[in-house]
Amino acid sequence: MKDTKDTGHAEVTSQQKPTSSPQSSVPRPFGLLAELTYRCPLPCPYCSNPTQYPPTGAELTTEEWKRTLSQAGDLGVLHVLLSGGEPLLRSDLAELVAAAREAGLYTNLITSALGLTRDRAERLKAAGLDSVQISFQADEASLADSIAGTPSHARKREAAKLVRDLNFPLTFNVVLHRKNLGRLEAIIALAEEVGAERLELANTQFYGWAFKNKEALLPTRVQLEEAERIAAAAKVRLSGKMDVLYILPDYYGDRPKPCMNGWGRRYLTVNPVGDVLPCPTASEIKWLHFDNIRQHSLAWIWAESVAFNRFRGTAWMPQPCRSCDQREIDFGGCRCQAALLTGDAGNTDPACSLSPYRDVLNRIVDGAQQLLEGETPSSHTTDLQYRINPSHSLT
Amino acid sequence: MNDEPHNLPLSSGTRPRLAAKARVQTDKISGKLALLYPEGVLLLNPTGAAIVELCDGQHTFQEMVTTLAARYKSSPNSLSSDVAEYLDRLRERGLLELISEEDSYW
Repeated sequence: MKDTKDTGHAEVTSQQKPTSSPQSSVPRPFGLLAELTYRCPLPCPYCSNPTQYPPTGAELTTEEWKRTLSQAGDLGVLHVLLSGGEPLLRSDLAELVAAAREAGLYTNLITSALGLTRDRAERLKAAGLDSVQISFQADEASLADSIAGTPSHARKREAAKLVRDLNFPLTFNVVLHRKNLGRLEAIIALAEEVGAERLELANTQFYGWAFKNKEALLPTRVQLEEAERIAAAAKVRLSGKMDVLYILPDYYGDRPKPCMNGWGRRYLTVNPVGDVLPCPTASEIKWLHFDNIRQHSLAWIWAESVAFNRFRGTAWMPQPCRSCDQREIDFGGCRCQAALLTGDAGNTDPACSLSPYRDVLNRIVDGAQQLLEGETPSSHTTDLQYRINPSHSLT
Repeated sequence: MNDEPHNLPLSSGTRPRLAAKARVQTDKISGKLALLYPEGVLLLNPTGAAIVELCDGQHTFQEMVTTLAARYKSSPNSLSSDVAEYLDRLRERGLLELISEEDSYW
């Protein structure tokens, strides 16, 4: 259900700019993505969860998560995204929310909303949950349920109403791709109808399952131009009523996204088995070892571990990044994308037009421009490989 | 009372209040006031913190300016536009509700 790589994370603004040369001093983290479980009732084909789950290890226990959240607060983290998989599948979720509040964190639930009963929502409210983000797949049930791989749209609508009834701020998130971009206008209308305060129109980022499905999910340039026009108009029309955020599809950009606002600079992720990663998709970098919260403190992993220091700052950068005047703005783009597309996480992200590997990305984008004979993108979902849940050794 | 947020221009009798989704706490690392909301954090400088702390739905804009002027030994006239500008930036981010004069009598 999730695509939190660069969408759900906290922006940080301060009158004093944070230091931008972490070599001299390790920065403090602001946001924690807590992936409470890989289990999920939805098998969305664009999930950013890994396609190969960690081979060993059980989910962190309640006590282990509470300790992690407390350590995160001590380290300076101010925001936690409680995500997954589907975090509602953890029966201890309210207890974890309370622990996060105790640690001084602003708590955001990132959910498919399946399993969000009134009783559950009230318990989360009582525990101090601050904000809820519900993912939708489309504007209406037949397309939404076919993308989600399971009947879910009607239940999401009910859950969204419940969330608003309980006065939670609601973010309506939709991952956009070839199959649903044509429905954008109606999707925005649905977000208005359910009373969302914030709408995240997140073009698919190609990691995990989405990378496996990139040919089926990548939109055409024509689709995107139309979508950008619609999103820009909605942003103006809804100003002051609903905050509309349109997340650019970086395969179509000239400059890479400032992924995670820099490696080991603002954010960390703890996955369901306790591995601590600089980014939720960092396990795409197969040779990099990630230390585990069962063996080390969060503070040690953040400041000292090999994984967090490997791409911190700018000293690791190859050309053209090393001498680029954008190097402290986009941080060379995304390490995981470089790994996926070039085989080496240390390369410039091919989403940058200056990357020597840009042609790899261009070939994928060129291949997406034609609609297949008879293809009406929004009704054709037979080419999707749906996510599978982890085997029960991980649950 | 009518709790609908308003997007009115500030007038001296408007009572600014932080939006329900926002809350403040002291940041353990910097000691600054942190304004937390669903998509981010603002670490406030001392002046910003002094303004935000008065956004409680009780103080009118005029009272805020008077209080701040006394604290910073400045004239209300010179502070007024700076405070209004700061509040407007918070409002643009959806972090502030402006309760109009009429509503406050309900």
